[in-house]
Amino acid sequence: MDSTEQTKLVKLRGAGGGIGGAGTCEVFPPPPPHRGRGWRRARPGRHQSIGGEAMNENKFLSTDPGTGPMEAAKPLPFKDPNFMHSGIGGAAAGKKNRTWKNLKQILASERALPWQLNDPSYFNIDAPPSFKPAKKYSDISGLPANYTDPQSKLRFSTIEEFAYIRMLPSDVVTGYLALRKATRTQCG
Amino acid sequence: MAAGPGRVFPFRDARWAPDPVLEPGAAVRTPQPVPLVIDNGSFQTRAGWAAPGAAEPLLRFRSLAARSRGARGAAGAETQVGNDLGSPEPLRWLLRSPFDRDVPVQLELQELLFDHVFQRLGVSSQGCVDHPIILTEAVCNPLYSRQMISELLFECYQVPKVSYGVDSLYSFYHNKRQNWPCSGLIISSGYQCTHVLPVLEGRLDAKNCKRINLGGCQAAVYLQRLLQLKYPGHFAAITLSRMEEILHEHSYIGEDYIEELQKWRSPEYYENNVHKMQLPFSNKLLGSTLTSEEKQERRQQQLRRLQELNARRREEKLQLDQERLDRLLYVQTPELDPLGSEQSLEDVDSINEFEPLFAEEQPEVEKPVAAVQPVFNLAEYHQLFLGTERIRAPEIVFQPSLIGEEQAGIAETMQYVLDRYSKEQQNVLVQNVFLTGGNAMYPGLKARIQKELLEMRPFQSSFQVHLASSPILDAWYGARDWALEYMNREEGWITRKDYEEKGGEYLKEHCASNVYVPIRLPKQAPRTTEALASSKVLAASVSNSSDQV
Repeated sequence: MDSTEQTKLVKLRGAGGGIGGAGTCEVFPPPPPHRGRGWRRARPGRHQSIGGEAMNENKFLSTDPGTGPMEAAKPLPFKDPNFMHSGIGGAAAGKKNRTWKNLKQILASERALPWQLNDPSYFNIDAPPSFKPAKKYSDISGLPANYTDPQSKLRFSTIEEFAYIRMLPSDVVTGYLALRKATRTQCG
Repeated sequence: MAAGPGRVFPFRDARWAPDPVLEPGAAVRTPQPVPLVIDNGSFQTRAGWAAPGAAEPLLRFRSLAARSRGARGAAGAETQVGNDLGSPEPLRWLLRSPFDRDVPVQLELQELLFDHVFQRLGVSSQGCVDHPIILTEAVCNPLYSRQMISELLFECYQVPKVSYGVDSLYSFYHNKRQNWPCSGLIISSGYQCTHVLPVLEGRLDAKNCKRINLGGCQAAVYLQRLLQLKYPGHFAAITLSRMEEILHEHSYIGEDYIEELQKWRSPEYYENNVHKMQLPFSNKLLGSTLTSEEKQERRQQQLRRLQELNARRREEKLQLDQERLDRLLYVQTPELDPLGSEQSLEDVDSINEFEPLFAEEQPEVEKPVAAVQPVFNLAEYHQLFLGTERIRAPEIVFQPSLIGEEQAGIAETMQYVLDRYSKEQQNVLVQNVFLTGGNAMYPGLKARIQKELLEMRPFQSSFQVHLASSPILDAWYGARDWALEYMNREEGWITRKDYEEKGGEYLKEHCASNVYVPIRLPKQAPRTTEALASSKVLAASVSNSSDQV
């Protein structure tokens, strides 16, 4: 298992700049004094996916040395300094894209997994939409509103509020509408 | 509520004290490493040792990390975590959170938070964190997220064993009393979302859980937008942390929302119960520079106050004048009388005399204002008046339509969940409705839930609502209790061996955990430059893993 991994590592590493990494499994090279977030080296670990990540870390190494961030005074002793998240970028991202998947993307890929009908999952347990008609409240004061201004579509409950609405600048009006997601639609 | 006139409150704008590096006693290492309990919340992280005497988590900090953009030449991006930031509005720092809703997705930032926790708690083991870890996760946590967190814990920190649980369930078990049933309906309202969790026979019934994607964060943003629209001149001073202060200290939930709103209609109630938040201001602007915008601001503010307080007076005055006008008009109707012309002249005079009264009315309306406040009251200009805003912001979890969300509110969701059970089970569930979570601390929430239950339950059926003893910290306490009880047992712990054999998404169930769905997640494909056909590599790694295992 290890030898195939090692050969993979050696092949992929190319012009690698790092100390160690292509060596044995168990030896961790000493962390550089200026380790930071970009300083991940290939971890000759047990998991084959790490083999590919060595490739990425090479890229990190080649670009980072000049801009080495000066972080903690000393590296934290309790963690493995050579650890690399396998999730950066994800499968779909190209080599330039180093962002994490956001929740929407994670859920999209989770939906594709073989769930059974009754299995609970994060997207299954979303609360259903409301069946009751929404009560209308004044945008200004929050009191129950019986009236809507036809010009600005804001809701109001008293005459004074109406006068106030008619004097509002347009950005405040759109602000109130956006607050209840009633931004103008192109309905006829 | 205050019986007197509405009081003026300053903003505390408290700054956070940085966490010191603690020196744990030798007891955390001997005779065996003590478990570390981390309640990893989207709002706040609470961490501490699971020692029997632990009164509260040693570390409590906002789950935020900030990176300075490193514009200062050679010194690159520095990071600060949690309480080191000082305040949630740091200048020149880019504030980030590892959470997206209630799930950690930015694992680099999560790593920073863990670093902070381990370092400040004084973890001294070399090359690994030698203590078992208990970590909270979201309800029905996505497998990907658990996989990433497990990888972080096992591979970066070399933790011996990990246990995942749901914070609301830990809180539930911490609050169990002698004669409480092991079943109940948990309503857990946090920073980002609110869950309705039925628990039957001591185990979470995960397929019937429901989650409303609204919590304290959305309430704070809503309140912020409301106040910014009401006081456009104070846009920058209305910050999220001040909104949180208002929510924590000046907001409440009305037992009957419409009734409460009607109370706020009356000007006396308003005067007695408005909370005026004083924004900090300096006296430099006193008197001199009343630019046109400020004049407009002042006029708008005064108009608002006039509308709210002087409406009746104006109406009465108008009524009197209207009567007088009627009388004069009636008198003015021409009579075919030679003497009528004289009379009409008189009347015309009186009418002319009357006209200026109308013309005067407008400036007269403004004059009392000028008379009442001869000096521009700078302090009042910098005050935010909280009237109905005090109950509107927390109400969004009950009526998401207030902010245009389509999801049902807490009451309707509770009914939906209950309807999925038989009558006997429903009865069992409502005997123990349990409220927990930071967003459940508004005064009046318990009464409101009781009223909603009264409306939805059959006539003359019984129900019981309980509030957690400490809604924010109970999750940590419950996890600590669990750790103390299960420290030396095998159940509930995912060991390193389990992680390697069954993958990061593996979960060992226990009384306070999610339900494990045995779906194997493909190992994350590495990025290769050769073939960006990630599917190929994915297939290769999956087949490799099947070979290996």
